[in-house]
Amino acid sequence: MAQETEVKTSVMNNGSQGLTLEVDNISKSFPGVKALQNVSFKATSGKVLALLGENGAGKSTLLKVLSGDIRPDEGEVRINGVPQKFDAPVQAIQAGVSVIYQERQLVPSMSVIENIYCGDLPSTKAGILRKREMKQTAEKIISDFGLDIDPYEKLGRLSTAHQQMVEIMKAYRRDSKIIAFDEPTASLTDTEVTILFDLIKRLKEEGKIILYVSHRLAEIFQITDEIVVLKDGRMVKQLNTAETNEAELIKAMVGRDIGDTYSALKRNDKIGDVLLEVKNLTTDAIHDVSFTLHRGEIVGFAGLVGAGRTEVVRAIFGADPIKSGEVILDGETVHFKQPKDAIEAGIALCPEDRKEQGLIRFRSVQDNVCLPVFQKMKKGLILDRKKQEALTEKAIEKYSIRTPSLEKLVVELSGGNQQKVILGRWTSELLTTKLLILDEPTKGIDVGTKAEIYQILCDLAREGKGVIFISSELPEVINIADTIIVMHNGHVTGTLARADATEEKVMSLAMLD
Amino acid sequence: MSGSFIKRITRNKAFSLAVIMIVIWLFFFLINHNYFAGENFTGIMNTSSLSGTIAIGLACLMMSGSIDLSAGSIGCFGGVLVALFLRAGMNWILALVLTILCGVVMGLINAFWVNVMKLMPFISTIAMSSIYQAMAVIVTKSNDIAIGEGAFTRMGTGHIGIFPVPFIIMVVLMIIYGLMLNYTRFGRRLILCGGNRTAARLAGINHQKITTIMFANCGAISALAGAILAARMYNGGPRAVLGAEMDAMTAAIMGGVSFLGGGTSGMGTIFVALLLVNSFNNGLQVIKVNSFWQFVTRGGLLILALIVDYFRESRRQKALKQGAKV
Amino acid sequence: MLKTSRAQKFIKSKVFILLILLVLEVVVFTILSQGLYVSIINIRNILNSIVITAFLTVGAVLLMVRGYVDISASAVGCFTTMMVATLLAAGMPWPIAILFCLIASGVVGFVNAVLITECGFQPFIVTMAMAQVLKGLQYIIFGTNRIDIKDPTMVALGTQRIGGLVPYTLVLALICIIVYGFILSKTYFGKSIYMIGGNPQAAKLAGFNPKKMAYILFINDSILAGLAGCLLAFRMKAGALDSITNGQFTGMTGAILGGVSFGGGTGGMFGAFIGMLVISGFKTGLTLLAVPPWWMTFGSGALLLFALAFDRFASFRRTKS
Repeated sequence: MAQETEVKTSVMNNGSQGLTLEVDNISKSFPGVKALQNVSFKATSGKVLALLGENGAGKSTLLKVLSGDIRPDEGEVRINGVPQKFDAPVQAIQAGVSVIYQERQLVPSMSVIENIYCGDLPSTKAGILRKREMKQTAEKIISDFGLDIDPYEKLGRLSTAHQQMVEIMKAYRRDSKIIAFDEPTASLTDTEVTILFDLIKRLKEEGKIILYVSHRLAEIFQITDEIVVLKDGRMVKQLNTAETNEAELIKAMVGRDIGDTYSALKRNDKIGDVLLEVKNLTTDAIHDVSFTLHRGEIVGFAGLVGAGRTEVVRAIFGADPIKSGEVILDGETVHFKQPKDAIEAGIALCPEDRKEQGLIRFRSVQDNVCLPVFQKMKKGLILDRKKQEALTEKAIEKYSIRTPSLEKLVVELSGGNQQKVILGRWTSELLTTKLLILDEPTKGIDVGTKAEIYQILCDLAREGKGVIFISSELPEVINIADTIIVMHNGHVTGTLARADATEEKVMSLAMLD
Repeated sequence: MSGSFIKRITRNKAFSLAVIMIVIWLFFFLINHNYFAGENFTGIMNTSSLSGTIAIGLACLMMSGSIDLSAGSIGCFGGVLVALFLRAGMNWILALVLTILCGVVMGLINAFWVNVMKLMPFISTIAMSSIYQAMAVIVTKSNDIAIGEGAFTRMGTGHIGIFPVPFIIMVVLMIIYGLMLNYTRFGRRLILCGGNRTAARLAGINHQKITTIMFANCGAISALAGAILAARMYNGGPRAVLGAEMDAMTAAIMGGVSFLGGGTSGMGTIFVALLLVNSFNNGLQVIKVNSFWQFVTRGGLLILALIVDYFRESRRQKALKQGAKV
Repeated sequence: MLKTSRAQKFIKSKVFILLILLVLEVVVFTILSQGLYVSIINIRNILNSIVITAFLTVGAVLLMVRGYVDISASAVGCFTTMMVATLLAAGMPWPIAILFCLIASGVVGFVNAVLITECGFQPFIVTMAMAQVLKGLQYIIFGTNRIDIKDPTMVALGTQRIGGLVPYTLVLALICIIVYGFILSKTYFGKSIYMIGGNPQAAKLAGFNPKKMAYILFINDSILAGLAGCLLAFRMKAGALDSITNGQFTGMTGAILGGVSFGGGTGGMFGAFIGMLVISGFKTGLTLLAVPPWWMTFGSGALLLFALAFDRFASFRRTKS
């Protein structure tokens, strides 16, 4: 078995030695966002290149350009000096580029074998499948990975980690010259991470180009050779991993000005009495979560995606059923059966996914601002239009929402303005909101608007409201929240005060095993 | 080893369907012993050959992620067309081929609305259904058209051993399509398409092309089914095939084909599901229940199939969740 | 704050195009029928045909704004046509007979809603299967014979006209349209339908109850269809089979023509009303020109496709601008 691998490796070495991938001056805009601006870098064979950046820095867009899923507005990608024009993903695959996305592109109802071959099944000229060949190759790949997976098992029956590994096997099977991993370790356990890293090392020795997207610095130091840092769609710098350190990377990722943003905030200094107490909250996704929130306090939730932060606030808000535990609001034990009850009790939730859960996209700004208070706008039988207009205008003024009219469909606004519409919705004077929950409010929003949103959070705290602030961007949580709660795998793994919190401390708690 | 073999069989959907079918058989047999008479079984085979043939095309289309509610109407039109062609003195093979070609065209019209105009397949094919239906009545002026051609009618009425020819045609088609789904590149691509459209796109599979082919295929098979029915009845009736697409759909869903793509099923499972549906309908006739109950059972069985599928799916999801945690 | 003027907005809207279509339709049919199309008799026919369509459309509009669809509505109508005739023939007083019919219709809507909200099935398939079930039950329970209605009050309600022109039932239908139109566009309840239809998840997180709304709307749709069935029976002075066969898509088609799209969250009653007039005018026109009945089936399917394509192009134009 091992010998066979050797043979295969040496054959491939001939083909991919001295390979280069050049990304030259790539720009891509989406309505309202410049996702990539003049990004250029070069990757050479036998090296692992890290793409590093915060959420929204343009890493995913860049991968989509490489995989032929979207076409850049400007610039080109060159392999071995030859410009590549990808009109469809299949052309990128043929050119030897495989991208392993975070959202798994697998088919649950099909077998592991077929998923490994996804769309590229070997067949005779008449179109008959070569089943034996498929089985042999699949078994060999699985044993190369050192995993115990039945190749005939339906993919949907595998664990998430194994599904992720099958996704990687797909690219391995294609024998691509260039393989890009988009946060591959997000759902893997330690054993599988070890297997993956061994595999990446082997691919590297085979002379392939590996692109590795992650924001886990430890991993990047462990396996990459070079690092490209992206920020707000621009390339900040290209570094050698051996010659840099975490501090330099973080500085490059976050940029210089962000520290000033935080110090310029007008914060709240008087923290009041207890507003919300959560005791041993348990649902399907979270276990034994307890914390306390005071009036005028911002409590930040940190942790990796999927750590259970969203589930905690959804449970408090009555959107998910609670198995056991207590929620005490203003000294009274409450149990909300549906979000409506929570809203009436003075809680507001700005959900994680603006598009799917926050906005009614094809309705006007006015409808979106007035959404929770329509009931309070009855004038006899009908809804009072003037009241709605007044309320919306107030919100637009308060948060300087840039919209040409009240009637503008909210889908046509930029991400930052959409978020402000949601904030305006929950802070109108018709609602007696005591506690505001914001789940990833700065996702996909430009730096300027981010700063505005930070100030809005602090202002809300100054008004004496309680604020729960969930974010995956560490610097943000550490610098905005008064208390930081770190979660991992459905459990609270630590609570820190702002003065004590550092990225290292929070990260080590978030990745606790 | 033998333990896991038994486990595999009992986990198999076809197995549980077969058990239900035997229960249904016994139930009707106890009420009326004629249920097990030879000619009654011939009847079941004959009726299932109609919905079964349509189910082949429909199931393939559903697996690729679309649906055609006009399959029954295309069948009606097919039966009428073949009768008209024969009356015009055409050779029966030519007439049959032409009819199937017309079916392809009707399928392509459906595909046009869905793939080019981007309308929802449900609503656009249900609209096309009334159009095809009306066309069938209009061209026949609402009369049945008699078929005299002997060679052609033998295709519908003949027997090989105890099996009626239409039934054999259905089984042969099922085997061919079953092999196609399981053993060819195209078949697997088709299922991949319905299972995860994004994955298919990233792998360079053209979803529109595949569903267009499957629409055409479904139209062709439905027209053929209509023609075979016309041969069996010695005439082409403009309303003969109505409702068969419901049975076909029910059988496909019972067999595990999901509505919005993603579910797959072997033709064998669909075959068992089909016999089950038809045995049930036939049983109702044998025990002399008012024939209008067929409307009720048709809808009722479809809803029942959906409910069973729902519980099976939610149980599977639950097991998966727990499995992942442990 | 900037605001587009109402007139400008109207000209850009789909309803405006529809009005033009309606005028064209009247002109074309008048010419084809050598003026008969605008004769008193034909206008009476048109007014008659609007009644049933109106009830079906109103229910469909509400459901579709929420993002659902109900194919069983016309089957419910057929069912109550027979049911009310049978009950009246059995000597039941008319208010109770109608009440029973409406309750039965409500039950159908309730079952639809249970299957759709609790089990998460496709509304299409559930209501299609339900239509089959109802069709069968109707044959089984009420038989296939025509059942005459002799109750003088109800026959009068169904057949008499104000000033010999406007049927009483039409007045009921118009009231229904106005009331529901008012509810939809002006009240909190109507706003909730739009909000939930626009994005059920977001609406739920903002304090609405999408599930409850689904129950209300499905039951409402069935009851309106049931009422339409009763009124139809009164007009025909009998319960007869397959009375609304071609009405399968009537409600839906009118609504789609009038700008209520399948995605939910858009459109309004006024547009649907105009859409409905276009359809009724078209169908009556065909009847007047002595087009055979099967062409009507053809027409109903073709109209639905036309409406869908129309909707597609109109929304395409909108996204482009």
